[in-house]
Amino acid sequence: MKSIRLLAVFTALMLIFAACTTEDGGGDATTTEATDGGGDGGGDGGDGGDGGDGGDDVDLTQTDTLGDVRAAGTLVCGVNDGLPGFGVVDADGNYGGFDVDFCRAVAAGILGDANAVEFRPLTAEARFTALQAGEIDVLIRNTTWTATRDGQEGANFLFTTFYDGQGMMVPASTGFTTLEDLADANICVLSGTTTELNLTSVFNARGIPFNPVVFEDNSQLRPAYEEGQCEGWTSDASQLAAFKSAIEGEGGDEQFIMAEIISKEPLGPVVADGDTNFAQAVEWSVMATVQAWEFGLDSGSIGSYDGDNPNILNFIGQDNFDPGLGLAPDFAVQVVEQVGNYKEIFDRHIPAIGLQLEGSPNNIWTEGGLMYVPPYR
Amino acid sequence: MTTTRDRELARPPLWRDVRVLRVLGQIGAVLVVFLMFRWLIGNLLTNMDRLGISTSFDFVFGPTNFQIPYASEFDPRAPVWEATLVGVKNTFLSGFFGIILASIVGLIVGVSRLSENWLVARLATVYVEFFRNIPPLVIIIFFGAAVFTNGPFPLLRESWELNWFGTDNVFLLINNDRWGVPGFTETGALGTFWIIMAVGVVVGALVWRWRTRAFDATGQPHHRVLWFFGVVLAFFIVAFFVTGTPFEVSWPGLSENRRRIDGGFSVNWGFMSVTIALGLYTASHIGEILRGSILAVHDGQSEAANALALSAFQRYRFVVLPQAMRIALPPTINQYLNLVKNTSLGTAVGFADLTAFTKTSIGNGRPAFQSILIMMAIYLSFSLVISLILNILNRRLQLVSR
Repeated sequence: MKSIRLLAVFTALMLIFAACTTEDGGGDATTTEATDGGGDGGGDGGDGGDGGDGGDDVDLTQTDTLGDVRAAGTLVCGVNDGLPGFGVVDADGNYGGFDVDFCRAVAAGILGDANAVEFRPLTAEARFTALQAGEIDVLIRNTTWTATRDGQEGANFLFTTFYDGQGMMVPASTGFTTLEDLADANICVLSGTTTELNLTSVFNARGIPFNPVVFEDNSQLRPAYEEGQCEGWTSDASQLAAFKSAIEGEGGDEQFIMAEIISKEPLGPVVADGDTNFAQAVEWSVMATVQAWEFGLDSGSIGSYDGDNPNILNFIGQDNFDPGLGLAPDFAVQVVEQVGNYKEIFDRHIPAIGLQLEGSPNNIWTEGGLMYVPPYR
Repeated sequence: MTTTRDRELARPPLWRDVRVLRVLGQIGAVLVVFLMFRWLIGNLLTNMDRLGISTSFDFVFGPTNFQIPYASEFDPRAPVWEATLVGVKNTFLSGFFGIILASIVGLIVGVSRLSENWLVARLATVYVEFFRNIPPLVIIIFFGAAVFTNGPFPLLRESWELNWFGTDNVFLLINNDRWGVPGFTETGALGTFWIIMAVGVVVGALVWRWRTRAFDATGQPHHRVLWFFGVVLAFFIVAFFVTGTPFEVSWPGLSENRRRIDGGFSVNWGFMSVTIALGLYTASHIGEILRGSILAVHDGQSEAANALALSAFQRYRFVVLPQAMRIALPPTINQYLNLVKNTSLGTAVGFADLTAFTKTSIGNGRPAFQSILIMMAIYLSFSLVISLILNILNRRLQLVSR
């Protein structure tokens, strides 16, 4: 009897929720539009928009993450803590890696201090929820930019810092070279990643039957792969390269990464939807590393630049040139001096896992790569 | 005149009337709860709306787009709700077999704990103390990692094949990934066969009652279990030939590329790890419950059984256990519920249960809030159905005091 009553109560709650959804769906849409319209009007009239934020009731629809981060003095950055090359924790508990350095670059750009970062390790599944809930300010965790994530996760994807693609790794001793060799095989894959979707769509499109074996994180996946429970391991090629070198370095079997790349995986920083000012600040802090590289400036030379290229002088904030991004005029100097330019960051972490800059899409556009940033003027 | 006054005295004003206050209190409590939920949900919806996240449940009709582990018959283009059902099926199977395993092992352990055989009693104690004091997740990971991934079993393509005595048919296929056991394939009118079998079970139950009545009336031995199975077996033979061999035994075997098990029924290592680990873990709790319940049966009952010269087995079967079961059932229901809920820990060994499916689904762009709400509703109904069934059983088993 008690169970039936509980069931009834639960159903009632669901009904209430359903009712709320339909009611509020219509109602809220109109109010939000109205507020947004008003806000825009004020902004256009003059830059008094920021002053208006003092009113507490406005905070419901408008968030000022930039102000919040400055007030807190630290940037909370969601990262990976178990991916060699991109985000790892060393024995002393320090974070390091390609993605981690971009967290530092953002902190240097916004706060002027590359160490003012609080790292928050996240699983693949938890990352968007953390971003939506405001637990983290920015997510830099080898996250692929896709239409669904952009549209449905309330996420705002920014400048792509790493062009990756999904690959397939097999033990070298098997001699497999194409996906067709893996018909009916167990394939290890991480749950909650885009690789799981790619794997299914590519194998289905080619009519290759397969069985995914899904793990929550790489510490569980790796032993299953090494012990032969899975014949293939699919992931972003950069991750595979990192694990290939780790496995071989620790005395495991020789591994082979198939030449075929089965997807596009643009990885970059992500912020929550709805706060353009903060998104701009993060994006330009990240892009400053590429711009510095293009200008030929690195962490050693940017502070002592004494040439007269007006573009560079603007870039390093000479004469307080301020394009109005909400960043200090010398933010680029802070970013590059404290963290380095893109090439320095890349060289620090990526060649160690077996990937080279030359010939990859991550090279600067002047040398045939895809790293191209809008002009800073 | 006086009577009206008396009545007025007897009924205090409304604001002090206990009956009115009680009703008001109830209404107030309902209002508070309702407003709290309204506020929480409203808050959530506002925030989701601010971030542009959909609050609709329509996604369950969209395509799943990813393959479910060890479910090759599942088409990734099928809608999300069908994929959810595969997860529900896995959770159900794991819970079902886990409960059976936990009950059998728990009964053995519980009785052994009280055994007069020193060694048996000590072994049972060690078992209970060992499993009871390790978190279930650790036991699951132990089974997944130490028994299957790094364990003694060969790879799938090098499976051990145990032949059925004197034939070439494989009846057990063992490796570190999935085990094959014989199954059945439909070769005829299976539906008709099941209908006849259902009738057979009903007739069997009637025969059972007839034997029970005959025993009550005349005291002749009833042999109702034998009678029941005899009737069911007779129906089975008739049904089998009437419907013209409705099914055949299908033996498991490796496919040509030695990467699949064709035929038979195969169970994967995640399922086995979760089911065995949770079965053994819960058995330690059930064993303790049983031991306590047996001790709670009055000594006089055992002494009376001894005085009647019943054997140890008869004493347990007919005197002690029936009374102990009454005491043990309610706490055992809790253990069953825990077991079913604990299957969600299976994600650690790649077991594709409801939780694993929901997590994957969220990771692939399905709305987190709605997905989790659906998952909670399913677990809740699982638990409520189990407790409903067992509570009915419990009520029927309790002593009726007149």
